[in-house]
Amino acid sequence: MFGYVVHRLFIMIPTLFVISVLTFLIIQAPPGDYLSTYIAELQSQGEAVDPAKIAYLRQQYGLDRPFHEQYIRWIAALLQGDMGYSFEHGMPVNQVVGDRLLLTVIVSAATILFIWVVSFPIGIYSATHQYSLGDYGLTFLGYLGLATPNFLLALVLLYFANVYFGISIGGLMDPVYIDAPWSWAKIRSVLEHLWIPVIVIGTSGTAGMIRRLRANLLDELQKQYVVTGRAKGLPPGRLLIKYPLRMALNPFVADIGALLPEVVSGAVIVSVVLSLPTTGPMLLDALRSQDMYLAGSFLMFLALLTVVGLFLSDLALAALDPRIRLGGTAAR
Amino acid sequence: MTGGLRRPGVASWAVGLLIFGLLVSSSVPGPVLAQMVAPVAPAVPTRYIEPPVLAERVAKGELPPVEERLPKTPAVARMDQPGMTPGRHGGTLTMLMASTRDTRQMVVYGYARLVGYDRDFHLVPDILEDVEVKEGRIFTFRLRPGHRWSDGAPFTTEDFRYYWEDVANNEALSPTGPPKVMMVDGEPPKVEILDETTIRYSWSKPNADFLPALAGALPLYIYRPSHYLKQFHADYADPETLAAKVAESGQRNWAALHNRLDNLDKNDNPDLPTLQPWKLTTKPPSQRFVFARNPYYHRVDPQGRQLPYIDRVVFHIADSGIIPAKTGAGESDLQARYLRFDNYTFLKEGEERGNYTVRLWRSGTGSEFTLYPNLNVEDRQWRALLRDVRFRRALSLAINRREINQVIFYGLATEGGNTVLEESPLYRREYRTAWAAFDLDQANALLDEIGLTERDDDGIRLMPDGRPLDIIVETAGQVPAEADILELIRDSWQEIGIRLYTKPLQREVFRNRIFAGETVMSVWSGLENGLPTPDMVPWELAPTRQEQLQWPQWGQYVETGGAAGEPIDMPGPRRLKRLLEDWRGAEGRTERAAIWDRMLRINAEQVFTIGTVAGVPQPVVVSNRLRNLPEEAVWAWDPGAHFGVYRADTFWLSEADATAAEAAAR
Repeated sequence: MFGYVVHRLFIMIPTLFVISVLTFLIIQAPPGDYLSTYIAELQSQGEAVDPAKIAYLRQQYGLDRPFHEQYIRWIAALLQGDMGYSFEHGMPVNQVVGDRLLLTVIVSAATILFIWVVSFPIGIYSATHQYSLGDYGLTFLGYLGLATPNFLLALVLLYFANVYFGISIGGLMDPVYIDAPWSWAKIRSVLEHLWIPVIVIGTSGTAGMIRRLRANLLDELQKQYVVTGRAKGLPPGRLLIKYPLRMALNPFVADIGALLPEVVSGAVIVSVVLSLPTTGPMLLDALRSQDMYLAGSFLMFLALLTVVGLFLSDLALAALDPRIRLGGTAAR
Repeated sequence: MTGGLRRPGVASWAVGLLIFGLLVSSSVPGPVLAQMVAPVAPAVPTRYIEPPVLAERVAKGELPPVEERLPKTPAVARMDQPGMTPGRHGGTLTMLMASTRDTRQMVVYGYARLVGYDRDFHLVPDILEDVEVKEGRIFTFRLRPGHRWSDGAPFTTEDFRYYWEDVANNEALSPTGPPKVMMVDGEPPKVEILDETTIRYSWSKPNADFLPALAGALPLYIYRPSHYLKQFHADYADPETLAAKVAESGQRNWAALHNRLDNLDKNDNPDLPTLQPWKLTTKPPSQRFVFARNPYYHRVDPQGRQLPYIDRVVFHIADSGIIPAKTGAGESDLQARYLRFDNYTFLKEGEERGNYTVRLWRSGTGSEFTLYPNLNVEDRQWRALLRDVRFRRALSLAINRREINQVIFYGLATEGGNTVLEESPLYRREYRTAWAAFDLDQANALLDEIGLTERDDDGIRLMPDGRPLDIIVETAGQVPAEADILELIRDSWQEIGIRLYTKPLQREVFRNRIFAGETVMSVWSGLENGLPTPDMVPWELAPTRQEQLQWPQWGQYVETGGAAGEPIDMPGPRRLKRLLEDWRGAEGRTERAAIWDRMLRINAEQVFTIGTVAGVPQPVVVSNRLRNLPEEAVWAWDPGAHFGVYRADTFWLSEADATAAEAAAR
């Protein structure tokens, strides 16, 4: 078990390294840099830009350096916890980000919790009551959830909430708490606003999870050991929980890894639509304006979140399933 | 405005420029001008009214009373426009913006300038009490005695001196030297500080760009809050404290820190004192920006109420794509930015629910959708064709502008070439109609005359080297509905044997391809300034800048003084360049108007840019509570500053009924 954990931990390092190189490459890939975006924006407003001044700025920001030099500078600073300098906001990235990272973690964690809590009972019900009216109804709902792009759902909610209830559902807290220090009242306000983004972001994940759980469980339910258990007179509830469900749980846990990036990336567009103070809208802005250190640091943070999520799901899997815990040995 | 203008010698042309450009010719003697000023500029009220929101702080002694906060002679707002009424203090104006950078819009809308345009686009003193211009080259500014920054510190000529000596001419802060506008043929002005409220800038040659630059939407700031910024300036601050501040801020050196904090235009530092009606109070980045009234603002209404009327302005940041939807739900009290004409029906539908009214203002550009043939294109064949005026005319004649207007803009726009708008004193009908009628026969005849008579099997004309005439029009998503308009143009160009392809590009690629001469034709909006007066610089009509899509190489050549780009090798643009030089040296408004006229005529006749429709309606959503905003107006960036020239500090909110946004909050 110890070897397994160490192995998993070590594999994170090259993964993150490759991700960092790729991230930086992709951010740099579009033609131009932050300054050319900035110039274009000024010019589209009819302003003149002095070329000499731009050349000076480019040199000041180090944008005239070769790619690898810029990368090494960035990654070296990142390892020391310095996320670099945001051109667009004119201050260190750490200061720009503020509460956003925390709020992103809160929204993502709440969403995953929501997905589990909702999909677990429904998945079991659908599988054990296959082809019943309830199964059909829930399946239909699930497909709807799976097929609806969540930004559309957000827009629809936005519209109906406004037209029928006259409320604005944007944001993650009441305006009075924006930029206020954290307090109980602020936390409560966040919780009050949290459910809408959680539902919107979580819907498709929930629907997918229900389908997966149902399919896995159906596979297991037809296996011989279940028939044997039933024949030997085990009560149905106990039989279900003790044997096939445990087997079916395996993909459920393993999915955290797949779920995390899905939730986080899906959240970008939803956050933009709902104007949530999470990393999403800021990341999008940063990518658009090629504010490379801000975008790079965000992407690295999201990558870290995903890698850590995968690691946790690996640990949970190992705890759950001895075949994985013991590595290849059992297979031999 | 109270002081009006002192009039120096008869030779002075710039008096015409300041106030009453249209009414007063330069031969009118001084006293007459003074008489004409009198009825327009309202008298200074005898007593001033404290904004209630500040009363408590005044009572506590945190703020001096309004009489002491205002300059000795405050500027008095004109209320003589139709529909304008003196208002009441109070309320919050909510607007939607798309990014943190948009805090700068508050400086645009606030529009407190040293000199600013009035609603008729004449320059009038605003922050300055008085401007005196001699020979177009000696500018004497008189400040309002007792004028204060938003933190209560006096606003004096020291703030101008600090900018000129310690910012503009400091190598660390301004490595490229003073702004270009202040350099006439490379010569900086002589800056003389006559006393605490009088300062003089003089050049040896006229500088016609100077005052318009001060009045711009994003103006030239020739002053700085020196009392605040000195603590970040190496020449003034204690080195150790400054070093600590630099380290804390994460900037590279003191100059970077100074430049970071010193953004009167970006308006992104809540600690920076301002002269604007509202002052930023939220530290960016945020999702919501609050601007509070500036207690030391220099304008009052005729009753003596200190402006602005509205206590707070709040910007909510939302994605630009959903701003129309949010506006339609009544979440904005005043919105035009990020709204487009194609949102109109949706917005109109929400009027009742959102308790707002949609007004249609006219866009201030010379032409909404304009084709730019690239006269500097690399391909020789194409260059020869595009430089042939008959070819450009034929292309223009083969555009069915009526159809575009009817199909895309419900017939609400004006059809014609890319030129100034009707509202401009320089407008002539023939500029708009020149080569802008839909006449396929004439277009075909012109093309035949050039010798493009060979056609391929599809009926597409062939170029001399046998290639078919396939024009690839590159776009960057600047103009709404550009894909639809190009679709319509494609159909009619087909009729004259020219095939049109569209190529959408990312903006940087788009520009770089044009600069490099790879692009044959591109799309952008037309003349930025559709409402010029003769005293505004006709730079858009001649090669002056690289980003002029019809002649980027020549523009760059002029811009860099010959260091980059190509010299102008075509008679028309060369003449335009000479005319622009003549304009800068011109004496008097009549002469300048004549030069404008000739430049507009050349542009219209030569069809260097192919305009389609102008004056496209800009939806402006206005809360039913908001007063003093004109029903019909022009939506223009510079000059105009969007809402700026309509003076947002005179807008007020009636108590009658609350907006939906406020109802929602309850």
